Amino acid sequence: MEDQAVSLQGITQHNGVQQVAHATSSALENAVQRGQRPLQKRRRKRIKLAPYLFILPFVLFFLILFVGPTIYSLILSFYRYRGYGAAVFVGWQNYNALWQYGVFWSELRNTIFYWLVHVIPMMALAFLLALLVRSKLAAWPTFLKPVLFLPNVMAIVAASLVFQSFFGTDYGVMNQLLHIKVDWLHNYAITRYVVVALVLWRNTGWWFIVFLVGLTSINPDLEEAAHIDGATLWQRLRFIILPLMRNTFLFAFVIDAIGSMRIFTEPNVLLAGGGSMANPEVAPLLNMLVDNLNNGNFGQAAAVGWVFFLLGIVAAVIQFRVFRGSEEVE
Amino acid sequence: MAIHVARDRIKSQSHYRVQHVFNLLVVNGILWIAVVVSLYPIIMMIVNSFKERSDILVNPSGLPALFTTSNYVTVLMQAAPYFLNAILVATVTTVLSVFLAALAAFAFAKYEFPGRNIIFVLLLTTILVPSEISIAPLYLIFSGINWIDTYQVQIVPALISVFGMFMIRQYMLSIPNSLLDAARIDGANDWLLFWRIIVPTCTPVLSAFATLQFLGMWNNYLWPLIVANDSSVEPIMVFLPNLRDQVVGFLPDWGTIMAGCVLTSVPVMIVFLLFQKRFISGVVVGSVK
Repeated sequence: MEDQAVSLQGITQHNGVQQVAHATSSALENAVQRGQRPLQKRRRKRIKLAPYLFILPFVLFFLILFVGPTIYSLILSFYRYRGYGAAVFVGWQNYNALWQYGVFWSELRNTIFYWLVHVIPMMALAFLLALLVRSKLAAWPTFLKPVLFLPNVMAIVAASLVFQSFFGTDYGVMNQLLHIKVDWLHNYAITRYVVVALVLWRNTGWWFIVFLVGLTSINPDLEEAAHIDGATLWQRLRFIILPLMRNTFLFAFVIDAIGSMRIFTEPNVLLAGGGSMANPEVAPLLNMLVDNLNNGNFGQAAAVGWVFFLLGIVAAVIQFRVFRGSEEVE
Repeated sequence: MAIHVARDRIKSQSHYRVQHVFNLLVVNGILWIAVVVSLYPIIMMIVNSFKERSDILVNPSGLPALFTTSNYVTVLMQAAPYFLNAILVATVTTVLSVFLAALAAFAFAKYEFPGRNIIFVLLLTTILVPSEISIAPLYLIFSGINWIDTYQVQIVPALISVFGMFMIRQYMLSIPNSLLDAARIDGANDWLLFWRIIVPTCTPVLSAFATLQFLGMWNNYLWPLIVANDSSVEPIMVFLPNLRDQVVGFLPDWGTIMAGCVLTSVPVMIVFLLFQKRFISGVVVGSVK
């Protein structure tokens, strides 16, 4: 039966006779209906190779571009290698050197600062805007959605340059509008907040949309029922919306934390004086990796890469803990 | 008694109305402040890109005293090749990575083969590994084969996206198997199933991933900053900040820089506003499901 089907298919392809194909398919369908072995199983046996061929390019590139370099990176982080000559095994020295290097701590502090200071206001604002847009009171929600998302569509480099021109001391828009003369980009205590402002401006819209989608998926009947039972707005928010949004919040905080550890473009474009890198006083941790790469300290650069791996894990675990904790409280 | 109740009801209704108007004002007030804050930098970027050099310095926050397009001429004269580099790299990467991801996703979604689940899970676990880990080794590998300052060094590392493959697979799972079986019965081989059936039915998710991928490449800054600094291959995002170094009287030419920013961002914004429903659902699809 199977061989027959194959030869019939062969005929179809050769002659292009549609009728034969129909005959084949109806014959097969009959076979299935008569309770013979299901079509799927027999098919699978014959076409074993195809799925492997389909995943081959992806998996091959994955091995070359991801698995290989990751293993290479781990080994490299224990060697001193300058890109030529022999690599010297140095044990944990690349890592130990990091802990002893003041710039590492300063840049780590900056990265964590940029994360901690923006995350709460951004999530609160994004959630508030989502609630307001979803409420029946908002005028033109179809206009508001794309407009509030628009800053996120802007290229990070372009947004950083626009903010740099805005916060210029003598000829900046901010100082002119407010009739003040603040040295936004050179007084580092203030400068860090300009970076946070840029992150807030560009990223709030993204989470606003994510929260809006999350809110829309909540069954409106639930709220309606609570409303009829006399629950106040605050009670509905506290006991219906927030618990149902927990997973969306967890997702948002974890993804934002992991992304924030890798912040690079905003502070460097915004705060670079000459060249393309910000001063270590305000630079993020990723600068450490790029600096080492530029200086040819490849082992050290690989070690910094693994610090990022650890940071991402720590950030994610903290978020899960916080959310697990809040669940137990309820 | 009945009159009392009726009067109270009227009272509470008018009170309710006042409350309602107040709520309306507060809600829309907050939303409009958010709209102004969102749009103001974008509008000022566009406005300032049409100002003359001295005009920007004297009056950075107002309308142009004299409307000029010279900033665009200046920036295009210098930056046109960098725009072409970026478009080329982003386009090629997007097409290839969507193809590779879709092909693999098809196999994972619609075939059963020994090792499928283990390979799939292994691929997925690596989503959590940050790409920073492989920057140093990739740099060494690519400089070993003389690929620094080429197009391919920008394209190749971005060819595979496990996240994109996962997103496409999730979508493919919802396509009924009967559709594929019917085509098989009509004599379609596995490649035709993919190319004629799967690709057309998966257009929404494929275009969503393509959008994400193109924007990601267009915005890419760190990797090209490290490996593509030669003017023949450098993308616009790496070049754009360099415009600040062309100072006259200690001040960068902000008008030209703003024109460059407009050219990198406004076309994307227009595409976004035209296709915003698809765009937003595409952007969010991976994050909510």
